Order: sequence, then C-alpha cells, then structure tokens
Amino acid sequence: MAARKPTFNQQILIDPTPLPDSIPKVKEVGASSAPLLSAAFFIGARCKDYNDDYMQCKTENPGKGEFECLKEGRRVTRCARSVIEDINKSCLEQFRAHWTCLENNNHQLWQCRPDEWKLNKCVFDNLKLEKTIPDQPKQSTPLHLRQKQIYAHSPVPAWEKPFIAEKPQSS
Amino acid sequence: MPVPFETLIPYVIITAMFGVTGAGLSGIRHYAGGGKKHRWSIDTWDRQMMDRDRRLTGVLRGQTDNPIAPAGFEVNQPWRAEKRFS
Repeated sequence: MAARKPTFNQQILIDPTPLPDSIPKVKEVGASSAPLLSAAFFIGARCKDYNDDYMQCKTENPGKGEFECLKEGRRVTRCARSVIEDINKSCLEQFRAHWTCLENNNHQLWQCRPDEWKLNKCVFDNLKLEKTIPDQPKQSTPLHLRQKQIYAHSPVPAWEKPFIAEKPQSS
Repeated sequence: MPVPFETLIPYVIITAMFGVTGAGLSGIRHYAGGGKKHRWSIDTWDRQMMDRDRRLTGVLRGQTDNPIAPAGFEVNQPWRAEKRFS
C-alpha cells in the first residue's frame, strides 16, 4: 500500500461522496490563508480549550485520530468559525487591511505591525480577545509590541504606537 | 586621453539585457500572482495552505474572509492517482 505520499501523479481523482448522515454536519471554515493567519491569535485566545482537547485526542489515538476525533474536530471548526464571524461583524475594515498587507508581504507578520495594532485594538474593544504570544521572556517587550521590527522592509513610522491592552484593576 | 564612449557600449548592452530579463521575470511573477507580490521561501505548510486557497476560491492566490465555505468544499479535495510502478 502507500508507504510514501504520492508525488508522481498525473491525474487527480475527486470523490464527491459526502459523509454519511450519522455524522453531524458542520459547515467548514471558509476563510483562506491570509485572513486565517490574521485571526489566528484571536482564534487561539477564544478556542484554546477546544484546540487542546483536539490535540490531546489526536495524540492519544495515533494512526486512527482522524476517525476517533471527529467530535473534537467539529468543536474546533465551530469555534474558529464563530471567531471569524464576530471579527467580520465588528472589525471588517481593519481585518481586511491587515490581511491584504499580509498577502502582499509573503505572509510575514513582522512586515505589517501597524495594521496589526489597529486590528488588535478593535478586536479588544469589541470582542475582548487579546493577542498574546506564549513563552515570551519577561524582561523584554513581547515581539508584537516592539516599535522596532528588525527584519521588516520598512521601519514602523514613529506615530504608529503598539496597542497594549490595559488590564482591569483587580481590587 | 579620455575614454571614448564607444568602449562603454558593450557594457550598456549587457546591463540592458540583464535589466530586460529581470524586469520580465518580475513582471511574469506579478501577473501570475494576480497582481500581488510573489511569495518566496514557500514551505510545505504554505504550499498546503495555497492549495486550500485554490480549492476555496478557484485562483491560486485568491483570498476570502467568508466564515462559511462554499458548498462542495468539503468534498473537493483531490486524491493523487499514480500509475503503478511494476
């Protein structure tokens, strides 16, 4: 049988048979790569538990994860779809500006920080989701909040300031 | 004696040839990508995502921020059919 991935194919075969009716139907996420990358940290902020469940299920079922983890996968899809729907409802222009910038820049997040800061502000104000990069060292600014992006083609203009979400004062 | 300008003509021709091929290649990559800058250093993840973009939108570099996929997206993933090596 197939021990390696097929690469020398000359034809492709598309099988339009849908899944059986015993499996609940879920609508797939329709966003393509640039919007997904742009919304990725917000999907992570809202859907962390479902994503962790799915990854744990796949790790515990090596080889048959695609069949055993359908339920967790449906939850992941629904959660990600809800994040994209909410971003579309409330922050559409900033979202579109950011992913258009990403699409023009080889999908490199460090080229598009000003647009990203505007999107972060809008999403935090409307949806209360914050972008955090895990495991950043404590003594330096997190990567996405730095004014100086060393690998970017053009420097960040001085009037564009990073958006830092204020933590509510816990009394 | 100053350098006569005829001696520099070959260099001008060489530079023009390099320029034409460079501009042509860059223009081809621009149009092939639908007017966007071309993507470089594409790894397997990027190739997989670009393939998914083509399944979603029909164009290799097409992007959409629709939350719900168009009908038929779930079943249009291609199987690669190789001929047997025997």
